[in-house]
Amino acid sequence: MAASEEVNLNDSKMVVPLHTWVLISNFKLAYNLLRRPDGTFNRHLAEFLDRKVPANANPVDGVFSFDVIVDRGTNLLCRIYRPTNGEEHRPNIAELEKPVSSEVVVPVIIFFHGGSFAHSSANSAIYDILCRRLVGTCKAVVVSVNYRRAPENRYPCAYDDGWTVLKWAKSRSWLQSKDSKAHIYLAGDSSGGNIVHHVALRAVESEVEILGNILLNPMFGGQERTESEKRLDGKYFVTVQDRDWYWRAYLPEGANRDHPACNPFGPKGIDLVGVKFPKSLVVVAGLDLIQDWQLAYMEGLKKAGQDVKLLYLEQATIGFYFLPNNGHFYTVMDEISNFVSSNC
Amino acid sequence: MVLYDSATSGGSNSGSSSSCSGTKQPVAEIDGLLAGAGYKVRSSELRQVAQRLERLETVMVNSPADISQLASDTVHYNPSDLASWVDSLLSEFNQPPLPLPSDLPDLPDIIAGPSVNHTAVGNYLTDNFTTTQQQQQQQQQMMIVTAMEEDSGIRLVHMLMTCAESVQRGEMAVAGSLIEDMKGLLTRVNPSCGIGKVAGCFIDALSFRIMGVGGSICGSVSENEILYHHFYEACPYLKFAHFTANQAILEAFDGHDCVHVVDFNLMHGLQWPALIQALALRPGGPPLLRLTGIGPPSPDGRDSLREIGLRLAELARSVNIRFTFRGVAASRLEDVKPWMLQVSPKEALAVNSILQLHKLLGSDPARNSPMEMVLGWIRNLNPKIMTVVEQESNHNQPEFLDRFTTALYYYSTMFDSLEACPLQPEKALAEIYLQREICNVVCCEGSARVERHEPLAKWRNRLAGAGFRPLHLGSNAFRQASMLLTLFSAEGYSVEETEGCLTLGWHSRPLIAASAWHAVPDVMMSHQNSN
Repeated sequence: MAASEEVNLNDSKMVVPLHTWVLISNFKLAYNLLRRPDGTFNRHLAEFLDRKVPANANPVDGVFSFDVIVDRGTNLLCRIYRPTNGEEHRPNIAELEKPVSSEVVVPVIIFFHGGSFAHSSANSAIYDILCRRLVGTCKAVVVSVNYRRAPENRYPCAYDDGWTVLKWAKSRSWLQSKDSKAHIYLAGDSSGGNIVHHVALRAVESEVEILGNILLNPMFGGQERTESEKRLDGKYFVTVQDRDWYWRAYLPEGANRDHPACNPFGPKGIDLVGVKFPKSLVVVAGLDLIQDWQLAYMEGLKKAGQDVKLLYLEQATIGFYFLPNNGHFYTVMDEISNFVSSNC
Repeated sequence: MVLYDSATSGGSNSGSSSSCSGTKQPVAEIDGLLAGAGYKVRSSELRQVAQRLERLETVMVNSPADISQLASDTVHYNPSDLASWVDSLLSEFNQPPLPLPSDLPDLPDIIAGPSVNHTAVGNYLTDNFTTTQQQQQQQQQMMIVTAMEEDSGIRLVHMLMTCAESVQRGEMAVAGSLIEDMKGLLTRVNPSCGIGKVAGCFIDALSFRIMGVGGSICGSVSENEILYHHFYEACPYLKFAHFTANQAILEAFDGHDCVHVVDFNLMHGLQWPALIQALALRPGGPPLLRLTGIGPPSPDGRDSLREIGLRLAELARSVNIRFTFRGVAASRLEDVKPWMLQVSPKEALAVNSILQLHKLLGSDPARNSPMEMVLGWIRNLNPKIMTVVEQESNHNQPEFLDRFTTALYYYSTMFDSLEACPLQPEKALAEIYLQREICNVVCCEGSARVERHEPLAKWRNRLAGAGFRPLHLGSNAFRQASMLLTLFSAEGYSVEETEGCLTLGWHSRPLIAASAWHAVPDVMMSHQNSN
């Protein structure tokens, strides 16, 4: 990208493929309709517009899925995606929770979808397809969490739900590999990436082992306006104004963006020095306006002596990973695959 | 005995025809990538969808209302069908200020038929634009009262006007993207209601104007004649024109033994068999009839004027009228010189202009006005009668948007009236005939824009100023025109008499006006001028 400060509205069309532009623009405009100025959210319309797909226990391209209720009290569902290991027949109900493997170690990726804490679900088409790709690439089992969303359910609901699923996954014997251990990774994009960090924090406090965190364009922020926010405001599908709206919708009433949920290494952040925090893979899109916060997150981990790998994709915008029509998509898939297999 | 002559002048009038209507898209495949994300978009439409999304964003950003409220109030159809969903939002945001429910007919009428479409469109177009608050209020009221299709039609009208305004302002990119939006919205409007077809014509015309290809729309001479003939058959406007003019000419020729009719646009000579027969039957016996037919030269070496002259001569012979025909080939009326007509001082002259005079309004104002010149030599020929039939509308306003709006109103009424026609292919070709007129009004400028229609009031002033006095057409003509209509046409047409002129309209909107004139004697002219 040129060093010029002037980025006009048409630039987004020049850096993303047409399909991606259409998809993300559609989301952007639809989402604009859903956010009300008074902070409420048109949930009814949001659910109507969201393209959803059912789980499918019939293997499609080597992956089958089924939904599980994890917590009846909060209607917490998650969708499990499993590889078929060669057999293409429809697994019967008993086989759904067949042990993942007796021969090899199978990573279990607990996935938190994005949507800025307000949008999407585990059964959204774009996330269903992403999880299936993760299964294929990483030869993993993916557990996609249908966490409660803002503004109806503010902090810390999403983290609570993540923690609940983590505990649940840890306790499933069928998710354990040959070493009687569930090899669990946390992954998420946008708000999901933010949830990954905070669930990992809780895991560390409770000494629950997580093998790694994968944060794709994670959603962080702060009270200050960073240079990237000012420079890229409105240029690539996202505005500072909409980011502010989502934080107001998720954070507790009265909190500002330096709340640790939003700004984990900010003035109210937790010091992670000496903490046995999982290794992290942080993917930052070079055209994402909150990249300064994402980079600050990475720096925060580094300064605390934690293992963090940064994947900075210069020409990528938000949502580049929804469609497999660009180089960044494949780069990231490879990185994630390496990330979860290096422990085996 | 038959005499014929061809005096040729002017250049040829050839051009390639181009169809105004779009071709049907073949069923194209659904894009696989977006299908995975839950959206059905045809691969071939991807760019258009992108353009519409851009347009939607602009509209949303500029929307004065709370867009989340508008979104709540909209009916969202299948969100998987991305193109339609974007369109429905576009039309939602482009929603025009609608008339208050009291201005509308009762609800059952809205669903009734094409005539009501016209009324609603008419009301919309004549209302002034209201403030945002009123807009929102009206929008909410309208949401309850209006049927969905009516809504789309009105939205289309509003978008057409917005597009025309953009064109007037030179904002071609905005206009272009509006064209795309409208084409999409058009697919959701019933094409058998007036607004659907006429909107398509105007959308195409604007599109041609933006692309700068207005000039290529004219058809060949024989094509134009064929279209004219079908327009003649499909609806009563031309029949009314001919009938009314013939009646006036017949009356003016009373008592004269040598009569000469100069027809400014012969076409297939459709007007003259009736006059020939009427003259044959007149008490006291038929006169010697000369007919001079003016028309464009035929490019392919045929002499179509002569052919028609021959046919008319045959008819005249069969009813025992002494008849002479002369053809004058000229591509423009202003190229005709009076000497070509060979008018004799002993004969009673009738000059007949059906939808021709307005074409003289287009030339460079710096030069001698062709209108003045032509009206001058007509007057000098001292005709017993000059019959003038013109479109009753002002499509010659200086501002493009005004012209556009007036034309939209006029032609949607025209198309509405055509809906009643049961004859095919007459109806379809009549529509093409009108399409060409629309294209000329909308796309062309300068001397290429010949369809410079002006209303009767303006013609009255102009002709009076050129030394003509009106001849009242008489109640006879009125009664007979009304009878003609009831015999041959659908319900909805109406004849009106206004200050001695007759108009034919659709649902009391006059669309064509017929008047008759004769030259004021010189003595009276100078007397008038000295006042």
